Amino acid sequence: MVDAARHPKVDVRTYTEVERVDGFVGNFKVQLREKSRYVRADRCNGCGECALVCPIEVPNYFDVNLAPRKAIDVVMSQSVPLLYNIDMDACIQCYKCVDACGKLEAIDFGIEDKLVWEDIGSIIVATGYDHFDPSVIPEYGYGRFPNVVTAMEIERLANSAGPTSGNLIRPSDGVSPRRLAIINCVGSRDKRFNPGCSNFCCMYGIKNAVLLKQAYPEMDITIYYMDIRTPSKGYEEFYDRAREMGVHFVQGRPSLITEDPETKNLYVHSEDVALGSVIEREYDMVMLSQAAVPQPDVDAVSSVLNISQSPGGWFMEYHPKLRPMDCPTDGIFLAGACQGVKDIPASVAQGSAAAARAGRVLHSDEWEIEPVVAMVWEDRCVSADGKKCGVCSRACPYGAIEYEQGKAAHVVTAKCHGCGGCVAECPHNAITQMHFTDAQLLAQIRALLAKDPEDKILAFRCNWCSYPGADLAGTSHFDYSTNERGMRVMCVARMDADFVYEAFRLGAGAVLFSGCHPQDCHYITGQPVGAKRAGRLLKQFEKMGMTPGRFRIEWISAAEGDKYARVVNEMQALLDSIPKEGLLEEIERLRPEMEKRARRMKEPPQVEEALGFADRLVEAMKAETPEPA
Amino acid sequence: MSHTPHTEGPETFADRVRAIPGGEHLEMCYSCGTCVSKCMIQQKVEPEYNPRRLLRMVMMDMQDEAFASPTTWLCSECDLCYPACPQEIHISGVIGAVKQLAVEAGYESPLEAVTVDEDKCSGCGICVMVCPYEAPHLIEKEVDGEMDTFSEVDADKCMGCGTCVAACPLGAVARPGVGNADIVKQIEVKRQPKGVPRLVTFVCDWCLRADDDVSLLESYPDNVRVIHIPCTGRIDPEMALMALRSGIDGVLVCGCAPGECHYKRGNYVSSCKISLLNTMLGQMNVGDGRVRFVQIGTQDRGRIRNEVDGMLRHLSMPQHLVAYKEAV
Repeated sequence: MVDAARHPKVDVRTYTEVERVDGFVGNFKVQLREKSRYVRADRCNGCGECALVCPIEVPNYFDVNLAPRKAIDVVMSQSVPLLYNIDMDACIQCYKCVDACGKLEAIDFGIEDKLVWEDIGSIIVATGYDHFDPSVIPEYGYGRFPNVVTAMEIERLANSAGPTSGNLIRPSDGVSPRRLAIINCVGSRDKRFNPGCSNFCCMYGIKNAVLLKQAYPEMDITIYYMDIRTPSKGYEEFYDRAREMGVHFVQGRPSLITEDPETKNLYVHSEDVALGSVIEREYDMVMLSQAAVPQPDVDAVSSVLNISQSPGGWFMEYHPKLRPMDCPTDGIFLAGACQGVKDIPASVAQGSAAAARAGRVLHSDEWEIEPVVAMVWEDRCVSADGKKCGVCSRACPYGAIEYEQGKAAHVVTAKCHGCGGCVAECPHNAITQMHFTDAQLLAQIRALLAKDPEDKILAFRCNWCSYPGADLAGTSHFDYSTNERGMRVMCVARMDADFVYEAFRLGAGAVLFSGCHPQDCHYITGQPVGAKRAGRLLKQFEKMGMTPGRFRIEWISAAEGDKYARVVNEMQALLDSIPKEGLLEEIERLRPEMEKRARRMKEPPQVEEALGFADRLVEAMKAETPEPA
Repeated sequence: MSHTPHTEGPETFADRVRAIPGGEHLEMCYSCGTCVSKCMIQQKVEPEYNPRRLLRMVMMDMQDEAFASPTTWLCSECDLCYPACPQEIHISGVIGAVKQLAVEAGYESPLEAVTVDEDKCSGCGICVMVCPYEAPHLIEKEVDGEMDTFSEVDADKCMGCGTCVAACPLGAVARPGVGNADIVKQIEVKRQPKGVPRLVTFVCDWCLRADDDVSLLESYPDNVRVIHIPCTGRIDPEMALMALRSGIDGVLVCGCAPGECHYKRGNYVSSCKISLLNTMLGQMNVGDGRVRFVQIGTQDRGRIRNEVDGMLRHLSMPQHLVAYKEAV
């Protein structure tokens, strides 16, 4: 940290918050709030004379409130930069610190927060995690029984720079404990609090046990666990070492801790799963290995940076396996536990990877993106006429569309990833997607359904899952109906309702609406947008009296070639089961309704023209392939 | 669209358990053992009792073993384990589903159910109202040419808390071992020298988790009589009155904390009864906290000592040592 602070090209801003982030990759404009320390950074030399004279003591956050600190203090003695800081909530403004500072004149009660704008090329988010508060689990009695402590508290108590100079004592009477229980999975792997595994608690529980065993060889240490998870290199060996040192391991999640009201000793009630019987053991102290949870201000940070969150509240990466350090937004990268719980080696690896990624942005003069970006027909956008809309802006998972009433919506091309969700959502057909324009897609539909449309199964497939899924079905030589006609769009979000209406209007036998499984969407939230629309369509068709199964929604991954073939064959079987006359009659019956619903599809520019081409092509095809006699 | 497991192949035992309301989410169990140690049956009654193992048996399709397991029959649905389960499995619901299948398969509960003396039963239905398990129900039967109503107890449902025994106004319901006569004959405290209060303590079998607390009760001198009952719901206010009439200074009733009753709501029934009794004693001028109901939670280790000592201190106060027998 000291090296970083001294580096000529590194600018360390501590005690500073990011207020706002505008712009895009390589061209971010970031607003920072430099919070007032009431101490001038250019004058304070970190001597600490002010803290010595300060009469106010407050709980020391860094020592998990186990020790006091002064109202003017540093967070910890190794802080970089070493600048003192006044806690104004506690300060009584006696100005003793000002006198102590003397000629340096570093303390200035008049300093205010400063807002500054900076030009930033790329951003790395490394905001870490927070600890789960175990007092919400009543059965463990944390907060009620003084000798039930958290892992962080043990960490400070056993630290030679901590409040007890490294002497582990129990809070109730200051005596060194002889028997210590460590309880794992407190608040993690628990559906009531955090369903996920906190990844590193097994290891830090064992680490604490080993360190304490080294310092106090006579201490009886028992670790209660559900499963010991030591998957990384050297971890299992460390677990072996703990057992060799005499640390006891009990498989069983304690259900209850009770306290002897006189001795303040604790009784841990648990099942020993190996024995199949209940055990109740007495301890002097109990350590709870509490879960890691997202930082309390995670929502604020994610809205400032426009990063989405995974279900647990962790920041969402671009791809869980292939791009774990990238954000869906170009130019923003994730490092460490803010993206998901991870231990030190994994955090270092991810941090280094994120730095390399960020460096790539800083070293490029140009940034290449996919050409399939969205584009607004400004004359069609109702917002330009002063009407309230903003549907496109809300549909965009990347915050790429700037919407302001009175102005046409504007796509920030550098941010657009080309899912096409905005295009399909726009109620006025005012946006289009390059290379996937309405004109192109409608012309494709017309060509695909040129001949005997009632026999055809038109399949809309998303580029990332169901299209490769269909490819896999082909390369694996799975048999599926030759009546299937596939059409590629980038994402289910692009599958406009008009396309489905048009397909049925043209008399398609069946339509398959397929894309990624909900959690696999390449465009963060494209799948849910498309799924919602498809669900609405399904209901409409049901109401119209369409034979169930003619419109089908399926989520098929790139690995599910067999599923793709099965689904198509099932749809074919359904078509075979409907008498031809009945099907034709149904198509005719529904055609006016479809026509009505798809009436606006021809509004966007180029559509009429493209459809004209398609029709001429279809005519030409028909002419070339005469009906067999 | 949604993935439904077990659609193919024959229906397994686990499928049948899952199909019964309450039996769902069975497969979520990862055998942490929280339920086993939270429950007190293994410690107090049956070493073979183990809900975690029963869930495992169901998952492994060990039907006969599951039906014969004491876990199937001894669970009293107190649901102490449910709020503690990290996977939010309603364990007593799963056990109930297994029990239902076991009863359908012809297995019988090994527990001794309460019995109804038809000569005494008037068919009033009070037992039906108080039972937390819906074990008693009214039946019509012909006696001497006339139709009459009786209570009948479903032996597979009765858990033996005795709440109905205490509630029956005619003494028609009996529970083997803890009948009225068995308890009444224990209400007896030897005469004590002047100034030493005499106390009867009714303790439910489930509120004292720690063995130390149970053995502590045995260590009191003979001015404290401890009577163990299956549930405070078994308390008949008449027993307290009987004790006071025989010259005993006070009655302490110890039950489980609210929401922790081993028999679902026996402690609620008794708290109502004892507050009514106290109102009545107040009207008779023998109030002053001579009958006290305390509810001891699972984490209240050592509290019983404070409660008994506190009661003895209370009763040793001079105003309590005056004769009141006349009033009773």
